[in-house]
Amino acid sequence: MTTQTAIQPDGPDQHRRIGHVFMWALIICFICINLFPFLWVLVTSFKPVGEIYGAETAFRVIAINPTINNYLTVVNKGILHSVFNSLIVSGITTLYVVMVASMSAYIIARIHFRGKTALMSLILGISMFPQMIIVGPIFNMFYQFRLLNSYWVTLAYSTITLPLAVWIMVAHFKQIPISVEEAARIDGCSQWQSLWKVIFPMAAPGVFTTAIMTFISAWNEYLLTLTLNAEKDFQTVPVAINTLRTQFSILWGEITAATILVVIPTLAIVLLFQKQIVSGITSGAVKE
Amino acid sequence: MQRRMTWKEFCFILPLLLLVSVFSLYPILSSFSYTLFDYQTNNQAKNALYTAATLNTMLYVEDCDYLVYYLNKDIPNVDESDRATLTALVDKLEAQKAAYANSEKTISLPAATDQEISALIAETEQVAQSYAEKYPTLRIVTKSGQILDEMKTCLISSNFIGLTNYSRLVSDDRFGQAVGNTFVFTILSVSVELLLGMALALIMNKAMRGIGLVRTTALIPWAIPTAVSALIWCYLYDGTSGIVAALFTRLGIIAAPELLLTTAGGTMFGAILADVWKTTPYMALLLLAGLQVIDRGLYESSSIDGAGPIRTFTSITLPLLKSSMLVALLFRTLDAFRVYDLIAVLTKGTPETLSIYAYKMMIGQSNYGYGSVIVVAMFAMVALIAFVYVKVLGAELIQE
Repeated sequence: MTTQTAIQPDGPDQHRRIGHVFMWALIICFICINLFPFLWVLVTSFKPVGEIYGAETAFRVIAINPTINNYLTVVNKGILHSVFNSLIVSGITTLYVVMVASMSAYIIARIHFRGKTALMSLILGISMFPQMIIVGPIFNMFYQFRLLNSYWVTLAYSTITLPLAVWIMVAHFKQIPISVEEAARIDGCSQWQSLWKVIFPMAAPGVFTTAIMTFISAWNEYLLTLTLNAEKDFQTVPVAINTLRTQFSILWGEITAATILVVIPTLAIVLLFQKQIVSGITSGAVKE
Repeated sequence: MQRRMTWKEFCFILPLLLLVSVFSLYPILSSFSYTLFDYQTNNQAKNALYTAATLNTMLYVEDCDYLVYYLNKDIPNVDESDRATLTALVDKLEAQKAAYANSEKTISLPAATDQEISALIAETEQVAQSYAEKYPTLRIVTKSGQILDEMKTCLISSNFIGLTNYSRLVSDDRFGQAVGNTFVFTILSVSVELLLGMALALIMNKAMRGIGLVRTTALIPWAIPTAVSALIWCYLYDGTSGIVAALFTRLGIIAAPELLLTTAGGTMFGAILADVWKTTPYMALLLLAGLQVIDRGLYESSSIDGAGPIRTFTSITLPLLKSSMLVALLFRTLDAFRVYDLIAVLTKGTPETLSIYAYKMMIGQSNYGYGSVIVVAMFAMVALIAFVYVKVLGAELIQE
């Protein structure tokens, strides 16, 4: 009897402790696997060419003769220009997509009209179909209007960014009580004004989430830029970094250095706005 | 209060409608129309959609004129019996000249005229050939070759071929292979991601402290452009300096480090691993969001009723998580199905999935007609997959 009472409070406690240790081991394991590729790329970017390929030195964690030459080379090759291109293209996309999505979400959230369900289904459908289906015709269209190799590619990005943007905005606009808007209308606001001066600021968190999600998906776009902007001057980051890999040699030192440089903006966005990103990823996934 | 739409309100959604029509609907419809043509942009006679034959009349009339000139010079130099043939030919060519002299620069022709003109060109060619031995010095024999070649290019036949491209698809082994690869990639990567993502979500749901750190690290692979992360993995898989390849060889998972980027099995494994690394955290975040809305009270009452952790998972967590899980699965499945960036960068196109095959056909070989058929087939499969999921979901997605 006495032994039982001595063990019983101890048993579950010990179980829980083992469970905790196990869980934390898994979490640490996950974090390591997640970050390992980056850390290794970071390590390699400071190695001189000889050490990257040498059988003895390829897997050393710390370079014997650390160098920043890789960084200097890729900067000279104009990798920062592609970062600039990416900023322009993603920035423009974000601006116009947020505007267009707000305007349409305002109507979709507030007004009953025929074909609303059809419109939403269409938008959802567009976000699902394989992007490859628009590549050929869009290429022809851009060729015909002489828009290849220009920043006009941002307009084609609407296919991949608008559906999600409209979806998130509608969800957020619906949460704003209609009485607020009615009050604004009584005070003499037109619909246009009540959208931009009342609803839009009130839905700021949603707007922000939309903007970040749009920016990231525009930043990451590869297929359309690859096809439409083949010229070096207009290449964005994902395309430009792949041109460092030539047919005959793969310069891992330069590629890793370039990777570190181009990943910095993404890391900054993730660290600063992770709440908005998580809300963007999960919007629509959970029914309230 | 729900109002009816006026034209003023319609203006608000007009930009959306315009963008969607120009950059989504129009290209999709165009792709469908491309499938009905033998459309190849590197072939001058096939670089547009010609529903009817077209004729470059200016050049054609000019060529007829040359032939008439040659024939008229030749007629005095042949036997009486052959003169009739040549005169008849001159008359026909003169008739063509008269018919097209005043028309527009290029015109589209009805099918009958198209055949008539080809027949005339063939006839002239035959006359030139048949007289070659008898009168080797005739102008029509020595000089007409170039003119006739040019005449043939004046006439561009219709490249409308109906459903021929589709029937080619059915017997295309490479397409079958691509379908197989795409399904293997999709099914394997999505199921591994679901399992790992679920485990990760359950852990994140339990752990109170440190969740912020896990979430931050989870977002990083997701936020990196696929084309960049594929390049990183390409380095890690490299046969001579790739650490993952070396590690896997040491562990006995693969026989030699260079296999990951060179063999069919190796590239498939490598692509799936890279995809799992990139999207498992995304899956976990979606599932975590679903877990967090489950009422904690349910867990308490089930533990009071004496349910173990497995029973709790199958009887409470899974059923309540079903809809978020299906949404996550739907989006991940469709995303994996259209995979392009990852494989294009990692191995420059092996294993060849549908997107890769279609892109090689369209942009690489300029064969838009056949490439579009592949894409349309993908479109149909995506629609089918989405349809199945939405049936299971019970249209919850689109509901208001």
